[in-house]
Amino acid sequence: MEFEDAELVGEFVIESNEHLADIENQLLAIEEGGENVDLELVNTVFRGVHSIKGAAGFLGLETIKELAHSLENVLNKIRSEELQPTSKSTDVMLRAGDKLRNLINDAANSNDVDVSEQVAALNEVLSAGSTPPAGQETETESEPTSEVAQEPASDSEVPKPEAPPASETNSATDSAGETTAKPQSSPKSTAEKTTPPNPAKPKAAANASVESSIRVSVGVLDQLMNLAGELVLSRNQLLQAVASNERAVLQAAASELDGVTSNLQEAIMQTRMQPIGNVFSKFPRIVRDLSSQLGKECKLEIEGKEVEVDKTIIEAIGDPLTHLIRNSVDHGVELPQTRTESGKSAEGSVWLRAFHKAGKVCIEIQDDGAGINPEKLKQKAIEKGVLTPERAEQMGDREAVRLIFHPGFSTAEKVSDVSGRGVGMDVVRTNIEKLGGNVDIESEIGVGTNIRVTLPLTLAIIPSMIIKSGDVRYAVPQANVAELVRLRAGEVATKIGHVKSAEVLRLRGSLLPLVRLDRALGTASQDDEREHGPMNIVVVETGQVRYGLIVDGIHDSEEIVVKPLGRHLKDCTSLAGATILGDGRIALILDAAGIANAVGVRLTHDPEEQDNADDSGLAEQSESQSLLLFSSDPTDQFAVPMGVVARIERVTIDQIDSIGGHELLQYRGTSLPLISVDETLDVKPRPDCSRLYVIVFTIGDREVGLIAPQLDDIREVSSDIDSETFRTAGVAGSLVVDDRLIRILDVFQLAEKSNPQWFAETREKVKDEDATPRILLAEDSAFFRRQVAGFLQAEGFEVEEFEDGAAAWNALKSGSVEVDMIVTDIEMPNMNGFELCRCVKQDAGLQHLPMLALTSLSSPEDVAHGKSLGFEDYQVKMHRDNLIRSVRTLLKNAGNPSTNNQFAAIG
Amino acid sequence: MSTDLCETPTLARGELQLATFYVGDLLLGLQIDQVQEINRRLDVTSVPHSPKCVRGVINLRGEVVTVIDLRTVLGMPATELSQESRNLIVHLGDELVGLCVDRIADIITLNSDVIEPPPPNISDVEGKFFLGVYTEESEIVAILNIQEVLEINNQD
Repeated sequence: MEFEDAELVGEFVIESNEHLADIENQLLAIEEGGENVDLELVNTVFRGVHSIKGAAGFLGLETIKELAHSLENVLNKIRSEELQPTSKSTDVMLRAGDKLRNLINDAANSNDVDVSEQVAALNEVLSAGSTPPAGQETETESEPTSEVAQEPASDSEVPKPEAPPASETNSATDSAGETTAKPQSSPKSTAEKTTPPNPAKPKAAANASVESSIRVSVGVLDQLMNLAGELVLSRNQLLQAVASNERAVLQAAASELDGVTSNLQEAIMQTRMQPIGNVFSKFPRIVRDLSSQLGKECKLEIEGKEVEVDKTIIEAIGDPLTHLIRNSVDHGVELPQTRTESGKSAEGSVWLRAFHKAGKVCIEIQDDGAGINPEKLKQKAIEKGVLTPERAEQMGDREAVRLIFHPGFSTAEKVSDVSGRGVGMDVVRTNIEKLGGNVDIESEIGVGTNIRVTLPLTLAIIPSMIIKSGDVRYAVPQANVAELVRLRAGEVATKIGHVKSAEVLRLRGSLLPLVRLDRALGTASQDDEREHGPMNIVVVETGQVRYGLIVDGIHDSEEIVVKPLGRHLKDCTSLAGATILGDGRIALILDAAGIANAVGVRLTHDPEEQDNADDSGLAEQSESQSLLLFSSDPTDQFAVPMGVVARIERVTIDQIDSIGGHELLQYRGTSLPLISVDETLDVKPRPDCSRLYVIVFTIGDREVGLIAPQLDDIREVSSDIDSETFRTAGVAGSLVVDDRLIRILDVFQLAEKSNPQWFAETREKVKDEDATPRILLAEDSAFFRRQVAGFLQAEGFEVEEFEDGAAAWNALKSGSVEVDMIVTDIEMPNMNGFELCRCVKQDAGLQHLPMLALTSLSSPEDVAHGKSLGFEDYQVKMHRDNLIRSVRTLLKNAGNPSTNNQFAAIG
Repeated sequence: MSTDLCETPTLARGELQLATFYVGDLLLGLQIDQVQEINRRLDVTSVPHSPKCVRGVINLRGEVVTVIDLRTVLGMPATELSQESRNLIVHLGDELVGLCVDRIADIITLNSDVIEPPPPNISDVEGKFFLGVYTEESEIVAILNIQEVLEINNQD
């Protein structure tokens, strides 16, 4: 048999041998367990065999697949405790395992080998249930193989779960039922007896067999060598400096060492980073083969091949991803006929995306298939005793869909040899969690399923927030930190509410459950006086929960090296490990998910309570904008849309220099140009104060700071904005909050007014282009429509304005407007942005138009949803600079169709 | 009785060296090859929700090492740390664990022949924690069974 892809087969052989490496020991341990089946161990073997079966199936290695399938069936029976392992059945399984190994090592010729004997023996075991098969002839015929089966058992030390010397004498009497079977398999059992008692647990043995190597380019290696040389030099300098005892020399040497160390660290990390495309490249074939095998039409679209992740992750992610993709094709995408009947195109799509998000790597596997029915899942879960009916009643759909990750849970109506039994999802979750990642699933019936795997970039060093509880410092992985909230003493009473004795924080229109860290850790002091002081809240987010952690202080962020905790502390689920801080002290790393479990933070709120929160005067969700309010003088209040704010710095007045009429902030070794409202607008000069805030935003590649003497609040306001009264350059409009008039600033115009040269470059570029691009803008709020149109017109685009999606769609469809691209709001009456996008993308004449969605503040879910519908990009409404840049890029790409269709071509 | 002693895997035959130390009034010994070092990093970072016998963790040259309070394990009343308190860093499999003890005593050399099996209890401490006892001129040295002392199950 010939193979197109020898590399794939090679990988399969290596991988399968890894799975089989310990199979004898594991099977023997299972046998020894007798009645008390070690389910974990059986599962391990089962998954290994299952993976082999899957991979063999798609490589067309039918014989291997057949044998693995039979073996898997037997293991499944043992797993569900319908079959008790006996020495006979173990013999049969061992022989099957050996045969499997032989077949795999000669994969090319495996299809010509006859395995009916092993398969028959396995089936016999299966049908006989707990009674051992008579199998006289198999025993004699397969003499050579049986020897092979037993040899490894006597060579290697058989790891026994707990093998105190005394148990040997006991076992004969304890398992009297089995002793009759023992003499038959005498070579093996004597081998066991002669091996010295080995305290090592089977797990350790299994781990030890996995070994890997890495390929490093000579360039990187040279760089490392070079840096090692530098390190030696730095050390010599340091030693000399210490000897000379001169502070200046010592400082120079220390900073040299500092530089070399960071370079070295970076270079070493680099040796481990590889593009994730290495894993992705094998999937198009899997999808193609699988869909033809299943009679489905399915294409795979891959995005983000170039995303780099740590080698360990690349290696470990292959198996789980294969499972997920196979699942999507097998269970997700429907048959062509079903698809056409429900109004979808006959060809299904599976998207595989990788991207960076908040210091982590996200991998999404999305299909446009049938979706998962949460009710059906609940039903199954109740049948299997995983869930009580009451619990199922309370469970939301989103949570119900997650049941799919429960071990041994399956929804497949019939067991198929492609991906059945629900074992895949279980394996996926275990493997991903082993890597410190998590996996989440979202599904909509009839629309499709989206599985998102989040993984750390590397397993060694993680950026963390150092916080304080009592006098003790803890680290919270930055990836879990969504934001920091500080409540002033006076605000605590109004912002903190109580829901059934649990504390919640009112945060921008929703309720956030709160956890007091000191209480969660059991270190709370008796007096609760602090309740009336200011309050620091770290809003943490894991895959499943989001809550506020009340801490006593927030320090800096630090890159920390994760150290494991000793075995005595394994039960501390609130902790993820420990790290050593710069001063040599230890800080424990908090596990956000563990804390949530320990204190029982609820995953979802009652919708009723949520409504109450909304009623309490906070803006309705649909058309609100969050604004950062600040004041210069008590009479002059301003607001900046949160979307444009990159971050906020607190500075002292002596960090600000004035050079040539412009103010500059001395900051992290560079200087940040500052603009001030009193410089450009007609307001009172800012009061003298020693400390002030700087709101940092970006224009192009440049960071600019806006001086905000006093920060007031972040508010959700409805777009009830007056864009006429105060209209001047730099002011976008005004509104009234709490009986005060607040002017909303257009920071880009402000910046342009004070520093026109920053904008000169981009302007010139536009003029080079020949035709004026026309842009359709759909936006229901007059204020935003005017703003965005203004932004675009200022850049030289022509803009067609429409007040909702329906108006825009009618104009497009009737051909009364012709445009080059579409910019649309999401929340609009009559037809919203998602619907508009769907219409446009389904129209053959219009689907080439690039579409950009505008939003007030975008959640990652919204962005993903929008992109899945066909939006090319997502931008925040008031961030002029990013908006313009995105419009430009999209227009440019549209003029160059090859880049647009590259993914389709691959699929 | 002496057959029991033979079967304990951790006590070698022949000449032994013991590092001895006090916990309360009890003079205890550990085979010297089980001890990596003795230090006085008593300033531990306490670990919330940890078992009672865990004093906390220390930074031992970049390794995070759990420190066990031997008094709690042996069921003695807790006392304040003193000038003479020390951590014995011992090997437990591939992990290092610290034992907090009240005072370090001598290193003694003896032959395994003179070791007797432990009585059911020594100064109200259960005999299971000991591999054997050795009677010096005036005092009794109880040899600790480190596996048993650091067994996860008897931490509370």
